[in-house]
Amino acid sequence: MADRRETLKILGAIGSTCAFPFATNELYAQHVHDGPGTQAPAGPPRFFGEAQMKLIGCIADRIIPPTDSPGAVDAGVPGYIDFVVSRNETLQGIFTQGLAWMDEEAQRLHGQTFEALDASRQIGILRPLSDAVDAGEESGTAERFFRAIKSLCADGYYTSQAGLITELGYTGNVALAAFPECEIPEH
Amino acid sequence: MGKTYDVVVVGSGASGGTLAAHLARQGADVLVLEGGPALNTRTDFNTHALPFEFPNRHIPTMKPGKPGFDSERSRGLGGKTMLWNAVALRFSQRDFKGKTHDGAGEDWPIAYADLAPYYEKIEREVGVCGNLDGLEDLPDGVFLPPVPLKCSDVLVQRGAAKLGVKVIHVRKSTLTRQKGARPACHYCGNCMAGCDVAAKYNSYDVHLRPAARTGKLEMRPNSVVRELTVSSGNRVTGVKYLHRETMAEGEAKGRAVVVSCACVQSVALLLMSRSRLYPDGLANSNGQLGKHFIPHMTGGVQCFLSPLIGTKPVNDEGFLDHAYVPSFMHNRKRDYARSFGVQFNYQNRRTAGWTKMMPGFGEDYKQSIKDRYPAFLVFSPYGEKLPDAATYIDLDWEKHDAYGLPEARRQIVWTGHDMKIFNEMTNWSREILLASKAEILSVAKEPMRNHELGGCRMGDDPRRSVVDAFCRTHDVPNLYVVDGSVFPSASEKNPTHTMMALAARTADHIAERLRKGEI
Repeated sequence: MADRRETLKILGAIGSTCAFPFATNELYAQHVHDGPGTQAPAGPPRFFGEAQMKLIGCIADRIIPPTDSPGAVDAGVPGYIDFVVSRNETLQGIFTQGLAWMDEEAQRLHGQTFEALDASRQIGILRPLSDAVDAGEESGTAERFFRAIKSLCADGYYTSQAGLITELGYTGNVALAAFPECEIPEH
Repeated sequence: MGKTYDVVVVGSGASGGTLAAHLARQGADVLVLEGGPALNTRTDFNTHALPFEFPNRHIPTMKPGKPGFDSERSRGLGGKTMLWNAVALRFSQRDFKGKTHDGAGEDWPIAYADLAPYYEKIEREVGVCGNLDGLEDLPDGVFLPPVPLKCSDVLVQRGAAKLGVKVIHVRKSTLTRQKGARPACHYCGNCMAGCDVAAKYNSYDVHLRPAARTGKLEMRPNSVVRELTVSSGNRVTGVKYLHRETMAEGEAKGRAVVVSCACVQSVALLLMSRSRLYPDGLANSNGQLGKHFIPHMTGGVQCFLSPLIGTKPVNDEGFLDHAYVPSFMHNRKRDYARSFGVQFNYQNRRTAGWTKMMPGFGEDYKQSIKDRYPAFLVFSPYGEKLPDAATYIDLDWEKHDAYGLPEARRQIVWTGHDMKIFNEMTNWSREILLASKAEILSVAKEPMRNHELGGCRMGDDPRRSVVDAFCRTHDVPNLYVVDGSVFPSASEKNPTHTMMALAARTADHIAERLRKGEI
């Protein structure tokens, strides 16, 4: 049986120009993939202070840690969170209160800031919040904050180049000459 | 401004575009007014952008500086066909005669045989791909070859088969082979972001632009129509509009006027065209305008197909959904009228909003998402809503848009009967997915509306409907409404193919009346 994948000819990929055999037609001659310029928000934070940004990074890397692939901070998630929160008053309240709560809770339990705690103690503070959110309980300040920062981490990470391409392995957005038929024998 | 056109068409989408082109080809002088700007299909859309190119990760529809589809109404030459998913299904005889079959809702005044030649005409003209399935409830057409099913479709097809439910190749107005100057689809997966090569049908590139070359069709973009004018002799004389940017007033005169602004906006335009003859809105002498609003109701299940969890991701974007579950309840025991069908696997993988719904955090969370990314699938049943008195379109005269026009208001109630279909289609979705070894992530609990239909109901009885079997208003002999608003019953099938067939049929009717000097 012929390997169907052999017939899958990739004419062009992201960042290149794909020529179609209609060069004389003014409209349909080709389609152009503009290069994906990553526009991570540049410059100083828009809403958060330096200390808050570090705390956000610390929590973000607990939610999506670096493993054999990049983590949230590697993917620029704190900058994305700052960008989104700077444009949303509701989130500003949730984050300001939530970040303060994290340090207060760390001080109350362990006499240190959240960032200064070791991994297991940080996870120990986050776990009950995560369990509550998974159970649909999001009414408390801390739970509401965890829901918000987890959502923004997921959105920010999995739409980043590191998250979407490197981690998840997205391979779409290319021009194929034909759509390949399913070739897994047991399918 | 002195010219009187044979036909003034308000709206340039699937209905307006098809109708205007068919009229121009038959020699009529046609003017198409479009509220949105002119655009260049190839260069103006963010078709191939990826989310990380934007600070907020939201991909705008239009490229920077290009006006158009990012506002509330789908505005721009081509209307919603620029962004549609292109599913093209013929309605069946049962869809046209639902009341006869089920005793509920309304029959159309036309039959399948009336529209069949026009379905074929559209298929030959624009190119529709699909398989010949020989189904009683989903008539075959003249098709280009279907696109192959995805691995995930095959898994669902096998699961559904265990329950006696058929999964077929989807039928779409997207080219699987080159057709004239339009290339075949290149399967980038971004159909609903503006197909930059027009492999997917859009009314601007496939109908309007070619027809304009005849010299018989003129397009006037940036023209927000605010009123239809009527003479004391009960004939519509033309339209008044505002320039989209300058707000300058404009006027166009026509021997006939066709309203094709998409369901809700068509009703709104007629309702706001008040005059001495029609104080409650044009063509509304019987008070039926806006009533019998019957949008499709959709549900949805998000899931992961277990056999694909942990596999290496493949590029299966294709042209979004490649398969379809045609309605199958007509011949089964049920306690409701009508039926539902299912569109599925049309999610696009360049975003993954479901990731935030996965439980937990940390390494396990990250790994579970990576494993499930290739297995994610959306399953969306579409059900037919029957008309009811509490569901209608009207105007909110207290709220005005940027042009000072009252806002259209949708009043929607899901009746007990609607909920029977909704619950049934939700349960079947779940059963089919479980039979396909799916792990379910979420199930929609309430219906959502899609495919807006009704409001200018077509019928033979002038007391109970707004337009006749040729989409001509009962009240005004040279005024037509052609779009989804005329559907007396909605079917569960995607409506655009039927709108286009209706538009072609109405064009023939108007051309004939022009030839006879009746208009």
